[in-house]
Amino acid sequence: MILVLSRKDDLAVNLVLPELAKRGVEALWWDPGDYPAESRIISRLVDGAWRHTLVTGGAEYDCSVFSAVWNRRPSRPRAADVVEDATHRGYVEKLARIYLNGWEDTFDTRWFPARSIDVIRTQNKLLNLTAAARLGFTVPETTVTNDPETLVEAWTEAEGRLIAKEVEFVEFGIDGAGHNFYTTPVSRRHLTSRHRLAHAPAILQPYVDKAVELRITVVGDRVFTAELHSQGSRATRHDYRHYEGNFSQYAVHDLPEDVERRCVDLVGSLGLAFGCIDVILTPEGEYVYLEVNPNGQWGWIEEFTDLPISEAIADWLVAGEVPA
Amino acid sequence: MTGFPETLAEAVELLRGLPRRREGVRAARESVAAWRAVRPGSRAQLVVDVRPGSPVVDYDLILDHPDGGAVALTAPAEDGVPWTVEHSTHWAASKVLAVDGQELSVQTALLTLRALAGRDRTVHDDLIDHCVLTLASWEEPDPSPEELQRASDDFRRRRGLHSRADMLRWLEEVGLTSAAYDNHLYSLARMRGFRTRTEAESAEAYFEEHAAEFDRVSAVWAVGPEPPLAELAGHDDPFAAIAGAVARPVGEIVVHVADRVAAEVPAPLREAGEGDAVGPVPYRDGFLFGAVRRRRLASPDPDTLAAAGRAAFSAFLADRRAKAKVEWYWL
Repeated sequence: MILVLSRKDDLAVNLVLPELAKRGVEALWWDPGDYPAESRIISRLVDGAWRHTLVTGGAEYDCSVFSAVWNRRPSRPRAADVVEDATHRGYVEKLARIYLNGWEDTFDTRWFPARSIDVIRTQNKLLNLTAAARLGFTVPETTVTNDPETLVEAWTEAEGRLIAKEVEFVEFGIDGAGHNFYTTPVSRRHLTSRHRLAHAPAILQPYVDKAVELRITVVGDRVFTAELHSQGSRATRHDYRHYEGNFSQYAVHDLPEDVERRCVDLVGSLGLAFGCIDVILTPEGEYVYLEVNPNGQWGWIEEFTDLPISEAIADWLVAGEVPA
Repeated sequence: MTGFPETLAEAVELLRGLPRRREGVRAARESVAAWRAVRPGSRAQLVVDVRPGSPVVDYDLILDHPDGGAVALTAPAEDGVPWTVEHSTHWAASKVLAVDGQELSVQTALLTLRALAGRDRTVHDDLIDHCVLTLASWEEPDPSPEELQRASDDFRRRRGLHSRADMLRWLEEVGLTSAAYDNHLYSLARMRGFRTRTEAESAEAYFEEHAAEFDRVSAVWAVGPEPPLAELAGHDDPFAAIAGAVARPVGEIVVHVADRVAAEVPAPLREAGEGDAVGPVPYRDGFLFGAVRRRRLASPDPDTLAAAGRAAFSAFLADRRAKAKVEWYWL
């Protein structure tokens, strides 16, 4: 049996569940956001090992029945509605997070892509950029800083062709409305407010010219590469997250063998079973690594390219099942 | 007399105190105008840099230097806002609206406006319909090559894109690759397929339920300002009066002669009996005067069923619009 940890509106789960069913394997879809409000877990230390029992939806599951856990997009733990005091809610939810980290750590099975703490650790761009560089990927000359003067220096060194990125996506708002900091070409106007950089670090890289952008999805040792022709649209030219179906062209890309092998090695070396790697193919034919997202979205790639990613995920998940 | 260093220092303080939101720009201009009145020699001008997709604005102040030339000042203050937050964009900056979660980008909206522009509709209805149809046609089978070609021909004809050169120039103008254009056509063709199928499947039932709307009505009517229409209405024979207006114009009016189902003649004439004259009555942005020459009971012939299908589809869209959860991001 497979345990899927994800929130209930996660469309990607709906792509994989039918594939698991086709393979005759049952799955339990549980959102840790239901803990502790609507689910219970009993952990017993027996002969030096933990035995976990998950109680949810009126059923009880000995966690040893799960041959793999797909750690997709779980919600944060949530206190029951009846816990009204804000400090009590904070207390409950923090304890729940700490407990669930321990539960994951001592839950001995195959984790896809990895346990939460490892997902968070490896999606840090500082960590995965060095891992990629060590494996021989071409990576942009990168500066991560909150030093205001370095901003102007980096812009000068890049001859005015500098881009800035967030260290990681974090939610914030302006005047009550959500805002995003997309990959942004740094203009002279941006330099005039250099003092603001002191308040939070940013990633600075020379602009890398693109022929196409590649989204490389690694599942175990299988690699699915889609090319996104982001340069045809003004909306996606600098950051393809502005994509829209009709205006973005996708195709399957044939990755050179050495780059493909390096992608598998990168994901493996980070201790992951899955990763979405963003790479730029320059007009000169060079593959430039940008980042790996250990739990990136892939449903849209499958939809536009028919690459069988959900099948590969299902294959990985059921590989530990003992035949009946 | 104030020296230039003092003027500069004052200008910097002025800039640092200006409101940095779009709604504060008027107040900022007033502040600068008031300061310039005190320092006329500066010939100060405020330049407002309105960022797309952000409520934040930037300012520059241009001053004359006493020895000739200009000085441009910008002076963002320390307000504790991180650099990445300051230079962020609203999460919906590239979107116009969402209908039941189906979002519409600015780029698609612009194309849609040209594709759907109709007379009795608001732009807003057209954009909502685009989202409704995108959702509704999702399960439609892939369009055939003939359907795609027809969608392309219609699209190009409506825009006067008759040659390959015209087409390439237009693609460049709107920032589309030919592959993106094909994707757009694919969506249009699928929507058209959905529409054709819905009309065909619902025509008979709609006709049976609303037979009176499909009486065959032969009518003439004139549309224009009220005075010339009132003059026509003063005649005993409305048909002769309208015919006379064509021969001897009584002002700027538009005359229509039609033989259609009742649902597709102007609303004031839909229920009029044979020989009845109507108007002048308010109609669209003017007035209407007209008369029904002949009215025959509805029969389910192919033309009438086609009209019933169109009406059924309009009713479907109106129903979906009424029930949909619509979120306009910028209205």
